[in-house]
Amino acid sequence: MTTLSLAPNPALRSPPSALRNTLTLARRELRDAVRSRWFLLYTLAFTVLGLAVSFVSAAGTGGSGLSGFGRTTAGLVNLVLLVVPLMALSAGAASIASDRERGMLSYLFSQPMNPSELLLGKFLGLAAALLAAISLGLGSCALILAWKGLRTNPQSMFWLCGLAFMLALGMLSVGMLISTLARRASVAVGTGIFVWLMLVFVSDLALMAGAVALRLRIETLFAASLVNPLQVFKMWSLHAVDANLDVLGPAGLYAVEEYGALLHVMFAGCMVAWVVVPLLLASVVLSRRSPL
Amino acid sequence: MNRLRLLAAVASLLACVPAQATQPDHAAPSADAPTTSTVPTTLGEIGRRVAAAEPGATLVIEPGVYHEHLRLTKPLTIRAGGKVIIDGGGSGDIVEITGPDVTFQGFTVRNTGIDLDKENAAIRVLAPRAVIKDNIVEDVLFGIDLREAPDSLISNNRIGGKALDIARRGDGLRLWRSDRTIVEDNVIHDGRDAILWYSKGVVVRRNTGLDSRYGLHLMFSDDVTITDNEFTRNSVGIYLMYSTGVEIAGNRLIQNRGPSGYGLGLKETDRFVVRGNLMVGNRSGIYIDGSPLAPDVPGEFSANTLAGNDVGITFLPSARGNLIYANNFIDNFNQIAVAGRGNLDANQFWKGDAGNFWSDYTGYDQNHDGVGDFVHESATLFEDLMDREPSLRLFLFSPAQQAVEFVGRAVPAVRPEPKFTDEVPLMRPVPVAALPASSSSTRMPLAAGGAILVLFGSGLLRLVRDPAGGPGGAL
Repeated sequence: MTTLSLAPNPALRSPPSALRNTLTLARRELRDAVRSRWFLLYTLAFTVLGLAVSFVSAAGTGGSGLSGFGRTTAGLVNLVLLVVPLMALSAGAASIASDRERGMLSYLFSQPMNPSELLLGKFLGLAAALLAAISLGLGSCALILAWKGLRTNPQSMFWLCGLAFMLALGMLSVGMLISTLARRASVAVGTGIFVWLMLVFVSDLALMAGAVALRLRIETLFAASLVNPLQVFKMWSLHAVDANLDVLGPAGLYAVEEYGALLHVMFAGCMVAWVVVPLLLASVVLSRRSPL
Repeated sequence: MNRLRLLAAVASLLACVPAQATQPDHAAPSADAPTTSTVPTTLGEIGRRVAAAEPGATLVIEPGVYHEHLRLTKPLTIRAGGKVIIDGGGSGDIVEITGPDVTFQGFTVRNTGIDLDKENAAIRVLAPRAVIKDNIVEDVLFGIDLREAPDSLISNNRIGGKALDIARRGDGLRLWRSDRTIVEDNVIHDGRDAILWYSKGVVVRRNTGLDSRYGLHLMFSDDVTITDNEFTRNSVGIYLMYSTGVEIAGNRLIQNRGPSGYGLGLKETDRFVVRGNLMVGNRSGIYIDGSPLAPDVPGEFSANTLAGNDVGITFLPSARGNLIYANNFIDNFNQIAVAGRGNLDANQFWKGDAGNFWSDYTGYDQNHDGVGDFVHESATLFEDLMDREPSLRLFLFSPAQQAVEFVGRAVPAVRPEPKFTDEVPLMRPVPVAALPASSSSTRMPLAAGGAILVLFGSGLLRLVRDPAGGPGGAL
């Protein structure tokens, strides 16, 4: 972490230099992440909680031989909603700000590379770390569920894994935007956790209160929930895994009736926007600000 | 787009009043039954042989494709001697049976007209004691239509509707004033309803209904026995309306979804017994609207398994006098819901010392008598909110839902009244009845999928430890 060699890596000699810079940085970021405590702790927590959810949902059937994967999916979706955004936001928030704090950022900027390469490299490295954490966690859940006798299509597990990764990318990108804006790492991480709290609890609770108090129409309710990437992840995974959103009552029925096959595209669009827009903003901020 | 909006609005209304909305639909076309025949007077090849046959004769038809409309006016046994296709050429009815005691067996009847006003049917029976057996009926508006044909037997037919919009489809099977008919071993798919009108003492057993609106629909039909059927992916599996004395046992009701989406619906039905059925993955396993209507005989639900439904049993607040015991409620997102407000005090969730098995029961059984030591009552704040404001289902499975439920548990002031109480909850599920004979899928694919994910994750981590990183490893 303290020294960084940008000496050309023989394995990476062929790609052009911008890509090489990005990939080298991504590797460094991944290595740092894997060696750091936060990665270990989050991965462990995610896996252990996932296993607990799996055990409980397998035990809930009382050995009747009937296990509703719906319930298990719901539990895992819930867990992903809690843990993955927290993991991604805090990783993203810590990334640039801590480098700035330690003077690393000015050192990196003295190298022949531009800020967007730096940003992208860090983004890719952290994304790979998050992908590893998610697939380890959900993969061990699938093993436990299979061992407990759940007979289901592994496709749903892959969907869940991929969508959780999409969510992680979006939250990572928001975290990095926070990180470029903040002066100190502690402020960045604090802001990241605040944003997490807003997205996980406050916005949903506010929307719920609005739905009851203002008698929001279901169209409005559905549109409003598309703004929150966590809700998008939830609806998308229900749509992909169970292929029916009517689990979500009138608003879900409305979504299916009105948009049908378009839903995948809509959800994907929302998620991609949450990945791309904050990252672009972050790159603008980073190139305008002094690295100190 | 506006029409879709309207549909969505209607859909949300349907959650409250599903039955009334769909009901007049049947009454109109059927009220003028029987209509005049559309079978033409010119005779086809089979028609000529039928005309020449003595009453009571047995005809065996040679294999081939026959383009004709057939009318059977006298007692006859007519059988296909191989693959015999009767093609209606896309117009009118195809086979009309007006004589009593006709046996019609082994044919493929296909391609009726699509005139809903004339109710074009593949096989229409207008006389008693018909036997319709082993036929394949495909690409039809109405499949088999019995009008005042009591004591008939409809057995082992396969009936498939036309690929039409649900509003333009006809009924796969319809019985109109056809008492004591037996309907068994048929497969009915892609139709509107399989429906019984004013038919007493009918037996419906071992049939399969798929991808239709109502898998089986009873209107004013008393003393009907419905056993060992399977209804999958319909809007409603079995819907009973205004019928008395119905026994429903050993049926499988699976994945019946959509705006109504009930495994079993009971509207103003009396003296019914629902025993040993399996309801899985429906929007609501059972839907109870004003049943039983007369309070002297309780509605009885026992040994059923309701698993993985969005709602196990939905009660309209008017429902009273039901006796629900020894059932399994396994992992339904809401085990019991009351549409609108109100409680279920007028229904009882145990009989003697047998309650139900609830997968969400949190108590324990210290004396090992198989019955939980604490009563089971359902009172979660979020469920209570959802019952009142259905659009809040959108927030299901989110951490915010858990936050609301936590508040409900922690703050007594906002804790809702329990909807119902089971005094003697069972600790173990009762044996699950009506399970499919064999489930072909195994746990292997899931295990393999999990292994792939774990390997992939750890592979990613090894990527950076890779010694081939060379000088890069000097970091």
